[in-house]
Amino acid sequence: MAWFMGIDIGSGMSKGVITRDGKLVSHYMLTSGVNYRNVSLRLREELLADTGLGVEDIARTVTTGHAAGLIPFSNHHVADTQCCARGIKHIFPSVRTVIDVQGQSSQVIHLDERGQITGFAVSEACASGSGYFIEAIANVLQVKLEDIGSLSLNAKNPVTFTTGCAVFSESEVISRVAEGVTKEDIIAGVHQALAGKISVLNDRVGLEEPCAISGGGGLNIGLIRSIEELGIQLLIPSQPQIVNALGAALVAGEQDF
Amino acid sequence: MTKVVIIDRNDEICASVIKHTGAEHRRLANRVMEEALEQAGVSFDEISYVIATGYGRITVPFADRQITELTCHARGVYHYVPSVRLAIDVGGQDAKGLKMSCGKLLDFVMSDKCAAGTGRFLELIAASLDLKLDDMGKLSLKSTSKASISNTCTVFTRQEVVSRISEGVPLEDILAGVHDAIASRITRMVEKLKIEPDVVFTGGVAKNIGVIKSLETKLGFKVIVPEEPLLSGAIGAALLGKEITLKALAQGKPVQRGRRSLSESTFFQ
Repeated sequence: MAWFMGIDIGSGMSKGVITRDGKLVSHYMLTSGVNYRNVSLRLREELLADTGLGVEDIARTVTTGHAAGLIPFSNHHVADTQCCARGIKHIFPSVRTVIDVQGQSSQVIHLDERGQITGFAVSEACASGSGYFIEAIANVLQVKLEDIGSLSLNAKNPVTFTTGCAVFSESEVISRVAEGVTKEDIIAGVHQALAGKISVLNDRVGLEEPCAISGGGGLNIGLIRSIEELGIQLLIPSQPQIVNALGAALVAGEQDF
Repeated sequence: MTKVVIIDRNDEICASVIKHTGAEHRRLANRVMEEALEQAGVSFDEISYVIATGYGRITVPFADRQITELTCHARGVYHYVPSVRLAIDVGGQDAKGLKMSCGKLLDFVMSDKCAAGTGRFLELIAASLDLKLDDMGKLSLKSTSKASISNTCTVFTRQEVVSRISEGVPLEDILAGVHDAIASRITRMVEKLKIEPDVVFTGGVAKNIGVIKSLETKLGFKVIVPEEPLLSGAIGAALLGKEITLKALAQGKPVQRGRRSLSESTFFQ
């Protein structure tokens, strides 16, 4: 019997998972901060404490994400695209496409029936294609990130942004607030704008259902509704943020490195 | 920024005022105008012609006419540098390149879709380093080894800059990298116009000596920066106003004025 560990250091959150026999045993999440090394060590500590295991019980650790290469106890690092595909396939075995909305990038991955990656498209050059966009606008509006999804469902007349740039959108939001536009309508507009960017990725990959969402974006019901308005039915994991860490642990147990 | 320039019949500048536009102040261009009138010591009725230009030109209730910033800018730059072949203007919201010959605008490129490559990029980097925008240029000249800074998204660059600081990279090297990044974007934008001297560089970003130097390195020759690089659009507008007035007078026609009202804009109500 062997345990495997997956660590996913994101730009905002870091996630760790332990699996055994291809099953999720324990998971933990922390804010990444700036010291990725320390955060990875803390994640490992928490996971080991939760399972009562020692460092020597972990047969292999795979790291992924933003700072995968900086983790001192990593045996291998694997691209987040591969970890995401593996994690989502575990949760939804029939899935053919996954939309992974992260803090600093978004990606859409297409899988074949065996779960092999057949194509993917990434938006990473521009913050307006990532969760950052939502965080920045939430910050301007002084709305908590966890409230942003439900707030946007109450929108009556979502705004259309005149710019595709996250930085310019921040100033646009300030003008709109001054004009009396509601927070709800602004937030819904942000979700629609991000959904628009994702739809470009969908087209490039050739989206096929069943389609799932993962990453922090999967916690945002407003974003989910905006993507569904594009005509896509989304499968939503109960813990979308740990999908890539889970995938990393599963890859650790399955691949010969 | 909102700029007002008043010129006399000899093209001499009698008043120039530069004020932050801001969200609320878009309504209040009249206040900047009033300040300029006071500086020039003339009454509003004595001004023969008022031209509004720039992004907010339609929100100026006291203008006789609106003219696009490209036309005004070309006119203003030509006034100072008649030999100009390429005018590069980088402001807080956009960047433009104007290909010119003998004062005529032949072609232009514009970038206003992305904050990287505009003054906003520098503003945000300065803020996250707790630096004054005005100090960035000089500081960067002390650099001995330019840091490598990506020139994609402003948001990501800001994070990159903060992590470089935590890695212990000297501030001046980071700034040199930042200026190189924006100069690369500007150069890439104007390359479509076939760059040839003389190149005139204006807009708020032309106040940054670090960007000027980086741009000169990339172009391979010196650029000309007017003494007050923020004013070329407003000066061009004033000159065009004078030309319209003189043309009407020469033809013996009355000057076509707008329904001027030196008051707050009601455009947003």
